[in-house]
Amino acid sequence: MMFKAFFKPVALAALLGLSATPAAAGDLEISDAWLRAVPPVSPTMAGYFELRNRGDRVVKLEGADVDFAGGAMLHDSRTGEDGQRRMVHLDSVRIDPGDRVRFAPGGKHLMLMKLSQVPRAGESVEVCLTFANHDDLCTDFPVRHSAP
Amino acid sequence: MKTKIRIGLALLLAALTLAGCGDEPGSDLPVNTRLGGDFTLTDHNGEPFRLSSLEDRVVILFFGYTHCPDICPAVLARVAQAYRNLDEQGDAGPVQPVFITFDPERDTPAHLREYLPWFKADIIGLTGSVAEIEAVAEQYGVVFLKTDGQDEAYDFTHSDYIYLLDRQGRVRKLYPADFDIDEVVHDVQSLL
Repeated sequence: MMFKAFFKPVALAALLGLSATPAAAGDLEISDAWLRAVPPVSPTMAGYFELRNRGDRVVKLEGADVDFAGGAMLHDSRTGEDGQRRMVHLDSVRIDPGDRVRFAPGGKHLMLMKLSQVPRAGESVEVCLTFANHDDLCTDFPVRHSAP
Repeated sequence: MKTKIRIGLALLLAALTLAGCGDEPGSDLPVNTRLGGDFTLTDHNGEPFRLSSLEDRVVILFFGYTHCPDICPAVLARVAQAYRNLDEQGDAGPVQPVFITFDPERDTPAHLREYLPWFKADIIGLTGSVAEIEAVAEQYGVVFLKTDGQDEAYDFTHSDYIYLLDRQGRVRKLYPADFDIDEVVHDVQSLL
């Protein structure tokens, strides 16, 4: 699954035939998106994906908007030197030009909270990733029991 | 003198062989004498639950909490898959998955009763007072620490081992959270 979004200024510049803004600035690709299936009474669920910055500007992922969730946070599951697993809240995730970031089980993940309903395995739901300096990136996340 | 030493070594070797389980099931899984033990908590029906009441069952014991979005549901899913694989082979009868929450405030018996059956693995959910859960965690070498979060949310820093207990309730093996399902199935079968 691939989806591309562009900076609004870039699209506007293209429409107006302007060249002041770099043409390739800030386009993003998302792939391997999925949500882990959880029980219908689950208060949370996690989303995973890979995000690639094909543009020439740094992009900062800040969170997500999801219709059925009252909130979304970026988290990282980290194992300390003491062997303890801890969940770290990330205010944002920086993606440099040409770089990619992977959200995967046991590592970075999108935590959806205050779920008004829990989508079931086999369904797909729209998740819009939100950025500090980029348009939202919306795509369908299939709900699965395990990683694709 | 040398003869006495040889006899002593032979006796020691014989004793170690017996202690090493001999013909006991799972003889390649050494008994962990530092961790484990009996305990009593409250089950998902709100009833007192004593581990030793599962006599003659192999137990897959693990800790977590239901507000955990990443590791805990993944571990639950893997344990459930191992149980279902055993079931397909007719070996699930004497096997009991047991989940102990770190989070008695939110993981009430009623919530566990609704949450756990979805995994279709006959999982017993256990909760209790914080002091009771801390005591069990200490028995099993589990560390957990409540951490403040935003918007009245909180999480836990915790160890995430899965424990395999034999039919006498003794710890026989520990697995990491991303354990190999086939390995657990094989180990469980070796204890039956």
